[in-house]
Amino acid sequence: MSVAAPLVALVGNPNAGKSSLFNALTGARQKIANYPGVTVERHSGRGRFADGRVIDFIDLPGTYSLMPSSPDEAVTHDVLMGTQAGERRPDAMIIVVDAGNLPHHLRFVLELLALGLPVIVALNMVDMAERDGLVLDAERLAQALGVPVVATVAVRRRGIESLLESLDIALNADAVTGIALCEPAQRPAVADKIARAAIVSESASRGWTRAIDDVLLHPIWGVLILLGILFVMFQAVFTLAQAPIDMLGGGVAALSDWIKAALLPSFWRDLVTEGAIAGVGAVITFLPQILILFFFILLLEASGYMARAAFLMDGLMAKVGLSGRGFIPLLSSFACAVPGIMATRAIADPKDRLTTILIAPLMTCSARLPVYAIIISAFIPARNVGPGIGLQGLVLFCLYLAGVIAALLAAWLLRRTVTRGANTSLLMELPRYQWPRFSDLLLGLWQRAIVFLRRAGTIIFATTIILWLLLSFPRVPADSTANQLDYSIGGHIASAVEVVVKPIGFNHDIAIALLPAMAAREVAVSALATAYAIEGSDDDATANRLQNRLSSRWSLATALAFLAWFVFAPQCISTIAVTRRETNGWKWPAFMVGYLFALAYGAAGATYWIAVAFGLG
Amino acid sequence: MHSTAPLTLDRLTIGQTARIVAVDWSMLSPAEARRLQEFGLDIGVEVEALHRGSLFSRDPLAVRIGRMRVVLRGAHAAAFTMAMACTAA
Repeated sequence: MSVAAPLVALVGNPNAGKSSLFNALTGARQKIANYPGVTVERHSGRGRFADGRVIDFIDLPGTYSLMPSSPDEAVTHDVLMGTQAGERRPDAMIIVVDAGNLPHHLRFVLELLALGLPVIVALNMVDMAERDGLVLDAERLAQALGVPVVATVAVRRRGIESLLESLDIALNADAVTGIALCEPAQRPAVADKIARAAIVSESASRGWTRAIDDVLLHPIWGVLILLGILFVMFQAVFTLAQAPIDMLGGGVAALSDWIKAALLPSFWRDLVTEGAIAGVGAVITFLPQILILFFFILLLEASGYMARAAFLMDGLMAKVGLSGRGFIPLLSSFACAVPGIMATRAIADPKDRLTTILIAPLMTCSARLPVYAIIISAFIPARNVGPGIGLQGLVLFCLYLAGVIAALLAAWLLRRTVTRGANTSLLMELPRYQWPRFSDLLLGLWQRAIVFLRRAGTIIFATTIILWLLLSFPRVPADSTANQLDYSIGGHIASAVEVVVKPIGFNHDIAIALLPAMAAREVAVSALATAYAIEGSDDDATANRLQNRLSSRWSLATALAFLAWFVFAPQCISTIAVTRRETNGWKWPAFMVGYLFALAYGAAGATYWIAVAFGLG
Repeated sequence: MHSTAPLTLDRLTIGQTARIVAVDWSMLSPAEARRLQEFGLDIGVEVEALHRGSLFSRDPLAVRIGRMRVVLRGAHAAAFTMAMACTAA
């Protein structure tokens, strides 16, 4: 290795197709990290020239100009200026522009050309522009700008080779070429002129996007379709995932049985089978459901529908003092509150943003899904209540809905009390619809799966082991009839917690599960699995499904109260940490934990007492 | 018969195209003004009203500027005074 690989930054307006191009250039060789000190994700990846030489790419956050109005955009500015900590100044830029939106995107190109870095312009989405009746000449554009312009269709992987060839030449050129720079004030006019000159032919737009939007943004139908999409999404999470879940569950049980048969009883064998495998295995079986949920979110994002959802929800969000912009972070929070809270940076108003952060944990994150799933499958019969509507899916939908309604009420209240401030605004672009590339979706899913499995392998693994040790020692003496769970250190801690949670219908098992669930919510499931594995270590515990044990030991009222608790579930440690970072202090995370604990306690209590009153206790 | 209030962007009928003739930038915060300019909303530009609101409210408003679609709230759209484009031919 004589010299470091050249560093090339991808820059462009939002919705120019930058991420697709980044995927096309780097394939699966990507890394997601954070810039030091800020919670902006750094997407980097490796690509290769045709002859095998390596290039490092970074995908910078999309922005409309170099005047940053959010922390994301500030990173783009600082990296290009060479002042971003933890990043060397790029050797060249690929500026990604949407061919169908040239006059707008060229303004930013003109601003970027003034930086004096070697530049290639990727004239992206030329197929969509042609579909809309706009034919452009990349060569004419290149002459006008004085830099190479390559026509690309990133989602179809078209134009990537020529882009790399031009990049190779630009990196090795001695002098940087570019047009005579214009004053910032003249940029819109100059951009318009250059864009017009590049047009070969222009016919009236055939208006695909318009026609689709007439339906999807319809004041009534649009909202109903949005609800329908969300409903289908949650039904799919249950029905499609069942087969892979059974397979994974069977595999976990088989592995545990195999180890039990192969080794003599010992501390280490029990640690592995009752602690690690029972705990981590219980969580891993939910991977299919989490991936299905993420698949829908990625699909809605990539197709351009997400901005429509924000449009439709803005009216409702405005009523509780938020903006439609907050809908996207909140919807991401269904997957995980951490990226959701990070995505609030797109909200300009600080009070609007703070409120969105505070209610983000009320969106049911995927870590809560294992908890819901295990309780629902143990207590709610799997029958249809209507054509194609399963009762289990319906209950799950209601739980998600309960979180949403609670979030709206909380926002309304917060905006009138602790986060009072200026009126909110909504300024955003509606991207054109496009058919997402399947492999881009798979890549996104793969990255999410890795993150989930890493959690399972670290946080969840560690807490499960600690819990197993706490629940296994001290051992019950041979001559005693005491229950191992009650006798252990963990059992004593749980007994102390039980005093507090008994009024809301929680039993000793739940008390055991609540504390480690702070590390990561899905640990509640592995904690129960570990606890029952220890207790039932004489009989064939692994064959005995967790669901069966739950339904024989908990009343329906307790199960419902447990579900209600998790609608408001106290945050996991990562959520608290990211909130601290995004709000610069402990004040707001402390407030968030406090108000959500109070809500969880109240909601679980109310559910339990009502259920008992109806004779379900 | 004619209303004396000037025609502003928030009052356009869906499907109508009009040209921006004046902007009251003081109705917008500096950041909002800059973002709207980046979207291309400025004097002399033609804008078409595309979609408005949902079940919940008359807000927001989706407009077309050239080939770009932009969403904004009525309160901001009111800063733009419009003149009807010639519809003949």
